[in-house]
Amino acid sequence: MLRRYSIGLIALAAALGAAIASAHAQDEPKYPDWSGKWRVIGGNRWDPTKPAGRGQQPPLTPEYQAIFEASLADQQAGGPGNDMRFSCLPPGMPRMMTVIFPMEFIFSPKITYILFENLMPRRIYTDGREWPTEVDPAFAGYSIGHWVDEDRDGRFDVLEIETRNMKGPRSFEPSGLPLHRDDQTVVKERIYLDKANAGSLLNEITTTDNALTRLWTVTKKYRRDDSPFWFDNNCNENNPHILIGKETYFLSADGYLMPAKKGQAPPDLRYFNQPRKQ
Amino acid sequence: MRRGLTALLVSGVFVLTSGVAIAHHSFAMFDQENPIELEGSVQEFKYTSPHTFILLQVKEKDGSTTVWNLEGGAPSNLVRDGWSSKSLKPGDEIRLMVEPLRSGAPGGAWNASKIKFKTGEPIVKN
Repeated sequence: MLRRYSIGLIALAAALGAAIASAHAQDEPKYPDWSGKWRVIGGNRWDPTKPAGRGQQPPLTPEYQAIFEASLADQQAGGPGNDMRFSCLPPGMPRMMTVIFPMEFIFSPKITYILFENLMPRRIYTDGREWPTEVDPAFAGYSIGHWVDEDRDGRFDVLEIETRNMKGPRSFEPSGLPLHRDDQTVVKERIYLDKANAGSLLNEITTTDNALTRLWTVTKKYRRDDSPFWFDNNCNENNPHILIGKETYFLSADGYLMPAKKGQAPPDLRYFNQPRKQ
Repeated sequence: MRRGLTALLVSGVFVLTSGVAIAHHSFAMFDQENPIELEGSVQEFKYTSPHTFILLQVKEKDGSTTVWNLEGGAPSNLVRDGWSSKSLKPGDEIRLMVEPLRSGAPGGAWNASKIKFKTGEPIVKN
């Protein structure tokens, strides 16, 4: 009997040891300390060092500069322009890395997850895989990354990521600064802690896109947010911005459509109150 | 009651700082260059995502009441300034700056830095 107990205790201890070892896998010293919540410094502009809109001085082709100007004109009239975020459409890559609402990193040997308060997670595959040949595009695209130990101290410093296979429509920022409709965007990121401030995370983002005349690199800075609260942030909970056809409207306090633009016509109701033909 | 921006500047009640708090989408439907002041009674405070809303009962000159639908910041951001779902309750009398819909319909956007109780007291005491 005693022997049976001893064997059981040994088995339990072994199981606990395995569990503890597993739990510590997340805390392996080879990964940097990016724990906690992170949110952007610099607002919702794409290049946080420049004003939004034309102030971004984006390197757009003439065709896409015209598309951008049309977006700005529509917004001046009260429309959304090229910014589809009002309808709760995901921002996709690279705009989702502006991180208006907080994000969190979870490391594992084969995948790094980036969890967002208001978006689907990003999965960064770090298992050395090749690009897949048959995957449907996604707003966040498909990301392959690898860790770099730049100072060779045995601990990773930089997560390098390449993202492809996005779908649209997408824009860089709320001004409607466009990406190309062919969705051939390639985004390269280098994410690392600011060596002068462990409460600051930097992300060098380089975008290649056929709407641009050259590579466009911006550096986002995120600050560690000590607040323990995560919100249940679902865009559809209370969104009064309504898209019907190509027009946007705003819901009144009592739930009826109101015009958003001056002089805006009501929506086309041609399919209401039609007599049945059969 | 809608009041002009000029009157507001004279009153000096609010500090004209940035526009609506950082948002995940364009607020171009709101006329940020021509804000107005509203006074009224809170019908409901919706502490919802992606943005909060104040449904504000505003008395018109003819004695009728219009309910405005006013979009504010995200709870996730407002909480850092001390806001919660209990910061406003039905019946609270408030005064705030609003960037109105360009259409003139009773909707708009508000900023936590430009809202007070009608008595002048801040909504959130930090």
